[in-house]
Amino acid sequence: MTRLEDPALPALDDAAVGVSAAVTKVGRPGRGRRRLNTAGQHVLLAALSLLWLAPIILIVSTALKTRADVQSNPFGLFSSFSFENLVAAWTGGQFSDYLLNSILLSIPSTLLILLLSTMGGYAFARLPFPGRTAAFYTVILGLLVPFFAFMIPLYFQLRSMGLLDTLVGVDLVLTVTGLPFGTFFMRAFFLDLPAELEQSARVDGAGEWQIFWRIMLPLVRSGITGLGVFTFIQTWNNFLVPLLYLPGGGFRPLTTGLLQFTSGRQIDIGPLAAATLITILPVVIVFLVMQRQVAQGFISGAVKG
Amino acid sequence: MATLRSTSPRVTRRAQARLGVLLVAPLMVLTIIFFVFPLLSSLYYSVISYDGVSADPPFVGLANFVQLFTDAEVWHALGNNLIWIVIGTISPLVIGLVFALLLWTVKRGSRYYRLALFFPYVMPGIAIGIVWGWIYDPINGWLNVALRAVGLGALTTGWLGNPSTALFAVLATAIWATCGFVMLIFLSALQNVDMELIDAARLDRANAVQRVQHVILPQIMPVFLMVTTVTLVGGFSVFDIVFIMTGGGPANASDVLGTYAFTNAFQLNQISYGTVIALLITALSIPCAVALNRLQRRLSLEGMG
Repeated sequence: MTRLEDPALPALDDAAVGVSAAVTKVGRPGRGRRRLNTAGQHVLLAALSLLWLAPIILIVSTALKTRADVQSNPFGLFSSFSFENLVAAWTGGQFSDYLLNSILLSIPSTLLILLLSTMGGYAFARLPFPGRTAAFYTVILGLLVPFFAFMIPLYFQLRSMGLLDTLVGVDLVLTVTGLPFGTFFMRAFFLDLPAELEQSARVDGAGEWQIFWRIMLPLVRSGITGLGVFTFIQTWNNFLVPLLYLPGGGFRPLTTGLLQFTSGRQIDIGPLAAATLITILPVVIVFLVMQRQVAQGFISGAVKG
Repeated sequence: MATLRSTSPRVTRRAQARLGVLLVAPLMVLTIIFFVFPLLSSLYYSVISYDGVSADPPFVGLANFVQLFTDAEVWHALGNNLIWIVIGTISPLVIGLVFALLLWTVKRGSRYYRLALFFPYVMPGIAIGIVWGWIYDPINGWLNVALRAVGLGALTTGWLGNPSTALFAVLATAIWATCGFVMLIFLSALQNVDMELIDAARLDRANAVQRVQHVILPQIMPVFLMVTTVTLVGGFSVFDIVFIMTGGGPANASDVLGTYAFTNAFQLNQISYGTVIALLITALSIPCAVALNRLQRRLSLEGMG
């Protein structure tokens, strides 16, 4: 990803390709046209970016307008400014509870996915044990089988286990939906480590646990971070799992809380926009702070299978 | 400590097996309870008639499957899935490729464009659904306001409430969200494109379109297929965005298999029938995933040789 910014990267436009960059610098006729091309690209890309971000701008704008203004001119951009809607969503709309539930659903399941995937990924990559292949394929089957295939029986299974409508139950289901990719992803990281590391540690008298914990684990830290960021966004955004397995509405997270809000008789757009803003804010922050990891996570998420 | 531990291969192997089993145990326990078991239950659910409450549901053999194939709504929903797959795969591929090619040669500021164009992909579906619902609003929505402003007032409609536009309005939203993701994958693939071949093509007087078609595309073919796999397979199990924006309506107009399965299982209490529809989704998506994956592997092997 980052390599894209490498200034040495050759260009596709007319002047730079075919004619070497050095020649262009000398001031051959290609130069002016090239600059024009680049300027054109920037204009086009800026316009597209703005167009692509317009819906997000609409959320922010509507969230930060006065309620009266939202009534009369709902989708005019930044025509007034107030925190009324945020206050209304926070207090009247139960969104402080929803936010807490979202945290209680996404953080534990993300940590559990990281822990179990790292353990499992290491075992599948580097520790021969009986039944390893069968166990690996059982886990990886989850990458191939859509959630739909087992979501309905799972509802009744959770009900008979007493886990329906509980945070623990939904946390466990979210964990299981993230484990196939997590395990696959971490296994790939462990497979890439050189075997000599392991052998020399063994010669030095390190036990298997020490090799895993002290030597191998620190080397896949970047993988764990990437997986963590990706998994957090996925669990935070998850809609179907809480929709299905929290039917009572007691522990509703932001995603299904927003749905509840939209199905009311009189939809109050201002507070709804504010609540939507609250919902996407953590994603925006993680996305901006951890750009590279997010991109890597989503790209490798596509390579699965 | 080191003196106590033997490094003989047999001892090592036993220690590895012990740790291996220990590390995968929690992963396997969760996978079996919350994935394998409900997956197998789904097969059982498909041959009984379960309403969600009765303690002893009757065995009905293949009756649910007979109902599946004679239910006009299943075929209608499947048709919508196919529309979704065809348009929802091709459009992001084309737009994403254009974005990637536009961005490929930009050095300064490229990061910001990438962030803006990719961000919708990481947004929670519910937030996307809400804001696009506003854009499609029949009276104040941006789309109709814009159409009126350019004199196309005749085209305005309630995009999500009109049976003939609902599915396409939702699909357009999904395409908006996916393009940036496709772009990102193409950008990472473009880094590996052999620039000398492009130079050679230019010397042979190939124009920009020809260069893309004959030089760039063949080189990023495996990635092209990978993206196709992801969007295509996802097209069978699409649920969130349709459920959020239209609920499959109006009057089933935008129903896809996912929403139809959900409605049957959780709103009409036809648990078994819902399960059978979900199994149809599974049966359709797995072969596609496997086939495209094979093709992709063969192509990437050829590419290396």
